[in-house]
Amino acid sequence: MAINSGRDKVVPGQLVWANVQSVMTMDYLGTETFKAFDSLGKKDVFDKERVICVSDHLVPPPTPAFATLLNQWREAVKAHEIKYFYDLGRQGIAHQIMVEQGHVLPGTVSIGTDSHANTYGAVGAVGNAVSVSDAAVAMATGKSWFRVPETVKFHITGKWQPWVMAKDLSLHIMGMMHWNGHLIYKTIEFDGPAINDLAIAGRMTLCNMTVDLGAKNGIVAPDEKTAEFLKPVQKGNWTPIMSDADAIYEKIYEVDVTNLVPTISMPDKLDDIKRVEEVQGRKFNKAFVGTCTNGRLEDIEMMAKILRGKQVHSDVNFVLVPASTQVYLDAIRAGYIADLVEAGVAVDTPSCAACAGIHTGVAGDGDIVLSAGNRNMKGRMGSKNAQIYLTSPAVVAASALTGVITDPRSL
Amino acid sequence: MIIKGKSWVSDDYVMSYDMVLQQYWTSPINKEENAKFIMAGVREEFNSENAFKNEGYTFIVARHNFAGGGKSIEHCVTGLMGAGIKAVFADSFARLQFRNAINYGLPFITCKDVADIVRTGDELEFNPETGEIKNLTNGQSKISVPVSPFVAEVAEAGGIMDFIRKRIAEGTVDELR
Repeated sequence: MAINSGRDKVVPGQLVWANVQSVMTMDYLGTETFKAFDSLGKKDVFDKERVICVSDHLVPPPTPAFATLLNQWREAVKAHEIKYFYDLGRQGIAHQIMVEQGHVLPGTVSIGTDSHANTYGAVGAVGNAVSVSDAAVAMATGKSWFRVPETVKFHITGKWQPWVMAKDLSLHIMGMMHWNGHLIYKTIEFDGPAINDLAIAGRMTLCNMTVDLGAKNGIVAPDEKTAEFLKPVQKGNWTPIMSDADAIYEKIYEVDVTNLVPTISMPDKLDDIKRVEEVQGRKFNKAFVGTCTNGRLEDIEMMAKILRGKQVHSDVNFVLVPASTQVYLDAIRAGYIADLVEAGVAVDTPSCAACAGIHTGVAGDGDIVLSAGNRNMKGRMGSKNAQIYLTSPAVVAASALTGVITDPRSL
Repeated sequence: MIIKGKSWVSDDYVMSYDMVLQQYWTSPINKEENAKFIMAGVREEFNSENAFKNEGYTFIVARHNFAGGGKSIEHCVTGLMGAGIKAVFADSFARLQFRNAINYGLPFITCKDVADIVRTGDELEFNPETGEIKNLTNGQSKISVPVSPFVAEVAEAGGIMDFIRKRIAEGTVDELR
């Protein structure tokens, strides 16, 4: 925040204008964002290569009204000569695209008009969700105002156990800290040996859900994995920025993943967290893997490992929506998609899908959904009369085999 | 400028997606229109046209995580403004709506345990300069966390859009830091 606002130092609580690396907007709010930008009195956006446009919520359009919205959106993007437009055919969930295509870089600040922009922390960037007006202002000026947050640290140690994923850690922390609870407006820094062991995909899952803790952002310091991940895709140069050796944390929490087990969030309340073994055997009828939280290659690989050569239970409808076209293609090339389709998993083209409650497998009255997404409040995936359990892709896949909630370690 | 008026005391965790129901998330931003169904999902009695607005409240007094739930929709703030709300006091606010409130010039004022001294219907008096929230009905008062000068500048300009419009016209965007 200090570097990006041209200062030597900043203090928590201070409001500063900082330069942004990228501004993301997507189909759902993008047309309104461009309209707001147009009203500011500037013809061109601050940098046509750093305003990133993605179609993710509404594609492929499920209704004529959404098709019309998408047409307006495409016109707006075109009119502003945006270089990076990830439209249907090249689409993905915006947050996946921003990291995967190197639009966010370590030590920089990026913003987007969708809440899970916190995902960018996986590569050592600050990612923040903002409103349409904020995005319009940043498109015009290359800047946004920020309140400098207090920082807490999660020091994660121990050895990851088989079938335990970053999502389990995310949900475990949710249970510790509560949904929108003690971490409101704070930065969460994740470090420690168990974080170093995580691939970028797992770090994305972890940072992604910090918004649901109420935090301002989550961040993992860049390391060799980050550099290797970004090298072929990065749009710009970066220098690693690490926490000061004498950094002050409001609080440091310790978690040892050696004892972490498959974890699940109960319907309607994200922080009502249980061990999967406590609810083993409960019936459900819909399974969903996808989203900016768990729609990546590593997640699909885990599903394929469990479902390969087997069959999804006949009482379960299983939908997989890869997080991006790149992920989809990689999963096809690795053979995972064939394994999963053979097992009885329905695969759809990348989008936010049912997680936004808009299309592709939304929940109806009485549905009990086992989802690898990020939110489970009433109505999130469609009907208010559906129940949503949130858990890891490993648990969703294992449960889909048996037709009841199943700890993958018990298979 | 001292603000006076009637208050509504909410529960903890008033969520943004209950303040503005999903069918209105893509509505155009317009204070009067957005006010019609503001708070419709928070309480059953507010779920009819202008129901919240017709109560004539000036202040909302809340506790933890007001306007939470991770939605960036600006209708929460414009809807409240259209319904006549002049300030919201709470123990804590969700960051997206805190931003929106600053951007539109609606004071979201942090004040610990403010809901302890107010009941729905009480007359309050708020002095933005001193931060004092005085309950005229029962005589109790609290001092809130002071707001940054930037917040007042944006409010004075009529919101972030006008604030930036003016700077673009003057060529003073680069001075922002």
